[in-house]
Amino acid sequence: MYEFAAPIKLIHPFLLYAACAVGAIGVWLALPRKKVNPQLLGGAIAGFAVGLVLLGLGIGAFQNQPEMDNPPTMLPSIYFYIFAAIALAASLRMITHPRPVYAALYFILTILSSCGLYLILSAEFMAFALVIIYAGAILITYLFVIMLATQAPSEEQPDALSDYDASAREPAIASGVGFVLLALLTTMLFEGVRVLDRRDEANPKGGQLAFQTTAEADVLARLPGKVEKSLRREGLITDEQSIQRNEETGRAMIFPDARTVLVEPSSEEGEPFDLLDWPESLEATNTEMVGFDLLANQPGSIEIAGVILLMAMLGATVLSRRQVEVDEELKAKQAAALPVVHTSAADGGGS
Amino acid sequence: MESLAGTLTFAQSAMPDAFQPTTLAHYLFVSAAMFIIGLIGFLARRNLIIMFLCTELMFQAAGLALIAFSRYYLEHTGQTFVVFVLTVAAAEAALALALVVLLFRTRDSLDADLWDEMKG
Repeated sequence: MYEFAAPIKLIHPFLLYAACAVGAIGVWLALPRKKVNPQLLGGAIAGFAVGLVLLGLGIGAFQNQPEMDNPPTMLPSIYFYIFAAIALAASLRMITHPRPVYAALYFILTILSSCGLYLILSAEFMAFALVIIYAGAILITYLFVIMLATQAPSEEQPDALSDYDASAREPAIASGVGFVLLALLTTMLFEGVRVLDRRDEANPKGGQLAFQTTAEADVLARLPGKVEKSLRREGLITDEQSIQRNEETGRAMIFPDARTVLVEPSSEEGEPFDLLDWPESLEATNTEMVGFDLLANQPGSIEIAGVILLMAMLGATVLSRRQVEVDEELKAKQAAALPVVHTSAADGGGS
Repeated sequence: MESLAGTLTFAQSAMPDAFQPTTLAHYLFVSAAMFIIGLIGFLARRNLIIMFLCTELMFQAAGLALIAFSRYYLEHTGQTFVVFVLTVAAAEAALALALVVLLFRTRDSLDADLWDEMKG
């Protein structure tokens, strides 16, 4: 169905590999380690690498601008750069911050800025769902567990980090492996395969029109109340009038090709049906489209999602109810580590 | 200079035209970089909780790529599948955090290196 366009050379592979190498060095420097800790320098180097690639991509996009009087924009909006910078910087800080609570908070920042990217991509429903589910629910659970599962600080050094937080495991190998993978991935994306074409290159509006006539019109036909409300708001029909519905399916009688809607006649002796023009404001929102796609086209997979969630809930309950055998040696060590005041308080209060 | 100002539009319209392939590449790069940062964090950090946070970051990057492709093809199925990414992420968070609490109660530490007898 899809035609392949000529490959667009977006970015020079040498620039891509150089940026990946610089980024690997930056992330390696930014990962926590014991003595010398040049995190700021590492972050700056990694940010420089990301900026290099984005600049290269931007220049590539600008050079490939089609030669028309009013070319469609090949560059993303300025908000893309802002949100992408915040998201990547926060995710880098998340994996390099030695304290888990701060890491979780930086993860929330990453989530919020990728919600900004979702909004630019006009996926409003998923953006708000992400804020509610991730930043609201999952991250709160993480914060609870971080507070449950943290050793009590010792008396002498209340700010001391645990050993496993203060130093990373094999930072050089990890960042090397990661950025080799990134170089491969981005090469595949930008050079190795041809850029997938839009649906209809000859007709730049074709994709949108074809889309509106099929998916969106289908959704609107299933929402006769919305069509009616939209017509009333535009003053095209009176309050008593209603639109024609298909007698078998109950769908609204709308004709997306001609952009008309069939309504009941305004008076008794008039024509049997009135054909009204489709108002500009009548369009399905993102939430309606996603909802219909979810419930009408993928009803089986939503059941599977429910089963996954149920299983996870059961599993978590079973896991957390299990009794843990703590050996006596460890108990003695814990008791010795507790300060004297706390020990007497624990004795008095009982546990 | 005028054409440059024309390309820096501030936000896309509500129901979009099809995406330009080059604009898609920008989003895919950000998604790939985010995924790789999560991967490096998972490999390099020793705290169990941060390791699981890094898997959430990788889910997030996959979701961003799905949304970008959904916009590129003007299909809502990509956005629908982010719902499943969210489902799996929530299930994973519940199970992983239960496991983390269990492991912490057994060894009194979140160090992943303490569990190296499973190396085989």
